[in-house]
Amino acid sequence: MASGPLVFGSQTSLREANRARIVETIKSFGGLTQVELADATGLSSATVSIIVKELVHAGIVATRSTSRNGRRAIHVTLARRLGLVAGIHFSRRYLRVALADLSGEIVAEHGLPLSSDHRADTGLDRAALLITDMMTSIEAEREELLQVCLGLSAPLSSATGAIYTPGILRGWDGLDIAAALEQRLHVPVLIDNDANLGALAECRAGAGRESRMVVYLNVNEGIGAGLYLNGDIVRGATGAAGEIGHMSSDENGPICYCGNRGCLEMVAGSRAMLESLRPTHGDLRLSDLVAKAHEGDPGCRRVIGDSARRIGIALAQVCNILDPERVVVGGAIAATGDLFLDPLRVVTARHTLPGEGPSIDIVAGCLGERAEVTGAIFAALGAVTVPAGTLPLARSA
Amino acid sequence: MTTRDPGDAGLVRRHLRLISGSGSDEAAHHPVTESDEIEGLVPTPRVYSRVTGPSWEANPPGRASNPLAAYADELARGTPPFATPRPRRPIIALRQISVGFGGVHALDQVDLDVAEHEVVAVVGENAAGKSTLAKVIAGVVQPSSGVIEVDGAPVTITDPGMARRLGIAMVFQELALADNLDVTANLFLGQERLHHGLLNVLEMEETARRHLNKIGARITSVRTPVGQLSGGQRQSIAIARAMLGEPRVILLDEPTSSLSITQTAEVLNLIQRLRDLGRAVVLISHNLGDVRAVADRVVVLRHGQNNGSAAMSDVSYEDIVAAVTGAVSTLPVPRQTATPRVSFTPSQAAEG
Repeated sequence: MASGPLVFGSQTSLREANRARIVETIKSFGGLTQVELADATGLSSATVSIIVKELVHAGIVATRSTSRNGRRAIHVTLARRLGLVAGIHFSRRYLRVALADLSGEIVAEHGLPLSSDHRADTGLDRAALLITDMMTSIEAEREELLQVCLGLSAPLSSATGAIYTPGILRGWDGLDIAAALEQRLHVPVLIDNDANLGALAECRAGAGRESRMVVYLNVNEGIGAGLYLNGDIVRGATGAAGEIGHMSSDENGPICYCGNRGCLEMVAGSRAMLESLRPTHGDLRLSDLVAKAHEGDPGCRRVIGDSARRIGIALAQVCNILDPERVVVGGAIAATGDLFLDPLRVVTARHTLPGEGPSIDIVAGCLGERAEVTGAIFAALGAVTVPAGTLPLARSA
Repeated sequence: MTTRDPGDAGLVRRHLRLISGSGSDEAAHHPVTESDEIEGLVPTPRVYSRVTGPSWEANPPGRASNPLAAYADELARGTPPFATPRPRRPIIALRQISVGFGGVHALDQVDLDVAEHEVVAVVGENAAGKSTLAKVIAGVVQPSSGVIEVDGAPVTITDPGMARRLGIAMVFQELALADNLDVTANLFLGQERLHHGLLNVLEMEETARRHLNKIGARITSVRTPVGQLSGGQRQSIAIARAMLGEPRVILLDEPTSSLSITQTAEVLNLIQRLRDLGRAVVLISHNLGDVRAVADRVVVLRHGQNNGSAAMSDVSYEDIVAAVTGAVSTLPVPRQTATPRVSFTPSQAAEG
C-alpha cells in the first residue's frame, strides 16, 4: 500500500495510519456501515468516506448499499476474492475459528473457551454454528465457502480419519471427524493434527520461514510436534508422526491417557506442572502459570524450567534423528520466552550430537496462539480445487 | 522474548553477569536462578519442595527447610500436604445463609466462598435458590439468618447501594438496560459526569470507549442506542456498566441464556478477561458446557441447600449432573479406589 519512505507526523503517514485503522476495524467486526465505521474509529465521516473509496479502488474493501433505521447506508466489508475457506482449531481448552478468502487474507475470526474433556458432537455443532454466524456477519453466501480444515490436538489416523489412539481426547474417540463436520456444513473438510498445522503456519509465514527443515514444538495443555522437512509436513505411514508428547520420559512414571507409562506429557506437560503447584499455589490454569512466571513467582519459574529440561531431553533425541535447521516453539508456554527457552536450549544442546557448527537454533514462534488456525487456513487453501466456471464473482470487481 | 540461542559464549557471558551480580532484571528480583542447574551441575534432589512448596524465599532456614520436620508439622496440624489446594482468603464468604419467603425456604444454611482471580459457578435446577443466593450478595434480598463476611469482617448488606460500596456488582438476568438511550448513557445511568452543571458528554464518551476497550467488549459505537445491539453486545454493556465502579466481585445471572453462539463466545471470553484482571466472578448458569469452560470452581445448590462444591479440574460433567439432580450429595464424587495424583518430581530421573 505504502509507496516511498514514510515520515512520522506527515500527512502521508497520518493517512496510512487511518487506512490501517479502518481496515483493522472492519476486520474485527466483520462488516459495518460507514457511519458505524466513523464512530468506531473516531474519524470524521468525510475522512471515512474518502478512505473507503480509496480502499474500494485498491480492491481491499467492498461496499454495498443497505439501510439502517430506514435510512440509506453503505455497508463495508473486506473484499473477498473468489470464495472463502475456514480454519478450525480445537485445542484442549479453546476453539478458534477463522474465515479467509482465497488470497489467504483472514476476514473474520472468533474464539470460544471449551471445557476440559469436551465432546465431539457439541464441539462440532458449535464450530459449524460459529462458521455460519461469521458468514452471516460478513454477508457471504453459503456457496462461497469452498473448503474447511480442522486441527485437533490428538494424533489422527490417515486410514480412518479418527483419532489414532483412543483415550487421548476422550470425547472424540472413534468418530470420522471430517465426515461428521461435512454432514453439518456440506463442504469438503480436511483434518489434521494441530501441531502439524502449527508447523505449516510457522514455516510458511512465521519463525521457520527461511528454513528447509524445521521441528515445530507445541507446548500447551498437551505437548506435540510437527515435522516440516523440505517443504512438506511429515505425517508418517499411519498419520501419527511427531508425537513427541508420548515419547517415554520415565519408564516407571504415571500412566498416560494413551495407555503407556511415563509419557513426556505426563511428566512435563501442563497437567503435571499445575498439579505440582497445587499444594502451594492452589488451583491454577495454564494462563495463570504463565502470568505468575512473568511476575517473578519463583515456584512457577522453577516448574517451567523443570518442564523445559524434561522436554529438552526428548527434543534432543528428535534432533539427533532429524538434524533440523531450527526448532520453533509455540503454544502457551512459549509465551514465557527465555524462562522456558533457555533451559530448553541448554539441555537440548547437551544431549545432541556435538559438532563443529553452532548448536541447534531454538526460537519462539511468531504466530503465538493463532499459529494452528493460520495453518488450518493454509491447509484449506492448499486443498481448494474448483472448476473456474463455478466461482462466485468477486465483490470487489 | 525471541532471542536466539546465545550459544556457549552467550551462556558464559550470562553466567559472568550473574556471578558478578550485575545481572539482568530477571536475575535481580529472582536471586535463585536456575542457572546453577542449567549449566549442568547435578541437581540436588529438593525433597522439601514436595512438602512445603518450592518457594525459597518463603522458607527461612531452620525447621521449615528440614523436609521431615515440615512434614511432621503438616501432619500434626492435620492438613495433608498433598492434593489439597491452599485455600485462598475469600473476598466474600457466606456462612449458613437462610432465606425464607413465607413458608418456603429459598435458601437453607448455604455456604459460599469467593476469592479474587476466581470464577465460581453456581449451578442447580430451577428453583434451587441460585438467583436468590446472588440477590443476597447483591443486597436485594435480606437473609433471615446467617453471616456474610467481606474480607473476613461480618457485614450486613442492606441495599444494592451498600453492596456497590463494598465492591460487589451484579448483572441481572433481565439486564435492566434502557433501550432508547445510547451505550454511553446506559453505562453512566445514575452516575452521569457533569461539567459546570451540564452533562459532560465528551468525557463520558471517551471514558466509555476506553472502558469497553479495556474489558474487551466488541462494540462498534458508543453512540448506538442499546435497543439496536445484539444480545451478546447488550450483555457486554450490562457487564461493562457493572465494571465501571471497579468492583472486586461481579455476579452474573444467566449471562449466556438466549444468546447465539458468537455472542456466547463474546461473553465467555469477557468472563475470562475479568478473571485475568483479578476480579472474582460468580457465574449463575444452567449451561454446564459454558460453566465447565470458564469456571474454576463449581458450587451445586439443590432445594436451597449446598449439594457439593469442588474445583472444576476434580469433577467431570457427569459428577456435576449427578450432584445437580441429587443422585449424589457430595462433590467430588468419591471413587471406589483412590487415583493417585500425578506429581511433578524433577528429581525422579536422578533417582531412577
